[in-house]
Amino acid sequence: MSILSYNGGAVVAMKGKNCVAIASDKKFGIQLQLISKEFPKIFEMGPHLYVGLPGLATDTQTVHARLKFRQNLFELKEGTRMSPKVFSSMVSNMLYEKRFGPYFVEPIVVGLEPDTYEPFICNMDLIGNVCFPEDFVVGGTCEDQLFGTCETMWEPDLSPDDLFETISQALMSAFNRDAGSGWGAVVYIIEKDKVTTRHLKTRMD
Amino acid sequence: MALVLKNSSAALNQHSFSPYADNGGSIVAVAGDDYVVIASDSRLSTGYSIYTRDQSKLFKLSNDSVLGCCGCWCDVLSLTKLLEARMQMYLHEHQKVMSTPAISQMLSTMLYYKRLFPYYILNILAGFDNDGKGVVYSYDPIGNLEKSKFKAGGSSGALLQPVLDNQLGLSNIKEKPEAITLEKALNVVKDAFISATERDIYTGDSIIINIITREGIREEKLELRKD
Amino acid sequence: MALADVCKIGPNFQFRPFKNETVEDVCEQTANFTNGFQLALPPFADPARNLARFNKDESGKPIQFKFDHGTTTLAFRYQGGVLLAVDSRATGGSFIGSQNMKKIIEINDFLLGTLAGGAADCVYWDRVLTKQCRMYELRNRERISVAAASKLLANMFYNYKGMGLSMGMMLAGWDKRGPGLYYISDDGTRTPGKVFSVGSGSVYAFGVLDSGYRWDLTDEEAYQLGRRAIYHATHRDAASGGIIRVYQITKEGWTHIADEDCNDVHYKLEEAKAASTSS
Repeated sequence: MSILSYNGGAVVAMKGKNCVAIASDKKFGIQLQLISKEFPKIFEMGPHLYVGLPGLATDTQTVHARLKFRQNLFELKEGTRMSPKVFSSMVSNMLYEKRFGPYFVEPIVVGLEPDTYEPFICNMDLIGNVCFPEDFVVGGTCEDQLFGTCETMWEPDLSPDDLFETISQALMSAFNRDAGSGWGAVVYIIEKDKVTTRHLKTRMD
Repeated sequence: MALVLKNSSAALNQHSFSPYADNGGSIVAVAGDDYVVIASDSRLSTGYSIYTRDQSKLFKLSNDSVLGCCGCWCDVLSLTKLLEARMQMYLHEHQKVMSTPAISQMLSTMLYYKRLFPYYILNILAGFDNDGKGVVYSYDPIGNLEKSKFKAGGSSGALLQPVLDNQLGLSNIKEKPEAITLEKALNVVKDAFISATERDIYTGDSIIINIITREGIREEKLELRKD
Repeated sequence: MALADVCKIGPNFQFRPFKNETVEDVCEQTANFTNGFQLALPPFADPARNLARFNKDESGKPIQFKFDHGTTTLAFRYQGGVLLAVDSRATGGSFIGSQNMKKIIEINDFLLGTLAGGAADCVYWDRVLTKQCRMYELRNRERISVAAASKLLANMFYNYKGMGLSMGMMLAGWDKRGPGLYYISDDGTRTPGKVFSVGSGSVYAFGVLDSGYRWDLTDEEAYQLGRRAIYHATHRDAASGGIIRVYQITKEGWTHIADEDCNDVHYKLEEAKAASTSS
């Protein structure tokens, strides 16, 4: 078993029309054993900025704490909020610092660009190689399943409501075929003037 | 001297032989009340190279049973040859073509015979059950069989199966699943393959669809991306 | 000899060309049709270890046999007979291959087998056992006892011991001696008992089972206990889930009590919990 799937968990993000969505499951397990159903993998890093950190649970927490620390320093020094683009560069840099002893997380950054409110999504591997796709990004133990569901369900210019339905269906169908993730899910829909958080009722086995 | 020794020890690294190959490919089957659809892609590959872009992985066993079979292609060939022979023996012995449920059990037993040196293949059998309704049987490599209404397997099985659960099983929707029409089944199968081809390098080129009804077997083909 | 050494060919290596020309050849390749006990011998010794060496193909792509696995099964004897409860999930690797597998096999009207471990292994040998039990009935004009049936099964497993088969089965039934329950595993172990649970989720099931088990359970209490034990196991164990199936055996034979989706069970219990805390 790979160290990336030791604790389990899945994160997916999608672009919509003037909005983005990010969703994850809530499981924290050790191999086959469920430990907690309330483990956050998505963190708010700013008003229009979220990061998802699927992978090894201890590194999810460490990376989140260290990112917050660096972001705070940046924002105090520069007197400005961090944009998603800058934030993702910082994540990538921080991961590459540990090139030969990496954190076992594959971060997903989503947000809206500060001035234009353009949707932004990106993901990276555990040593910080960044990708900026036009449609969706997936990460975690049911990556294959998510690729299948997102690839069939996603379409361009979805409205916030449709985006919510699409990302929820994609995530739930995917983790219902994966033993390593599930046990509840949370979805964030990020729009220009509001962020909607919804918790899904899912299978619990 | 040290350098020479190092090199020679590397040269001693033996190339290990494996009797197995993974030639990729995916199968999808969907059953309705009066039809069964089974489809496979047509790419046969080894590692990053492609042997052929035009190899159907569907085997017509009788007028109402089609077997989809992928994985290690040499195992596919020897198993299907054996299956054909066994079906012919059955025909001559009983003066009757084997029914799909009979084939399904026989295939399971044949796969288990090789339990200690298994066939590296995935089988999905499509046909009609004893009540005349469409049915899909799927197998693991050593013959554990499961009867269902739809199933995806092969190199992009993990990508395709949740799509089928969602579109045909309506897994996260409150309403009870209604009967799947042939048209809907065909659309889902095609969509699923088009999506899988985007993300799985071992699936692509084209799909061959066999539509089995009481009138016989009709074949359709759909081109996929070739990269 | 030197060549054999270089090629790593041991004394057990036999190279038999695969011919498929005559009916005899075909029958040889499907020998278990005539004799269920006989499986094909691999062209190498110690299949449990040596098969795992073929883990890459010629291009280095990993070869992984993903047999269907993972389970919670339980059975216990009580004053009303035997109660069996199982989940229905089959996982290959971490992929959930099936959510409605049948893990209780009906051998005859008075015998049930549960399966855990390799799905194909259990189903195949149960099928062979079914035939054996029927043959016994025809020869002796009486039903086979649970003890005898479980011994037949244990002997089959013992013959293939160390070959990599994976099974943890319970055999339950009713015979002249009353209710019978045996645990049989792939190493040839066979042991009678009152309460068993097998599979990756068995640790959780045992927790519930041991706290609630009594000999004088009523039928309804027994059913609720089995169902609850499986539900808690499916909740905590990633490799268990799907449908909770419950069977009971009495002197009239087995009855199928219920199939229940454990998702429904979960939310029903949550509701009950919420109602009891608010009142």
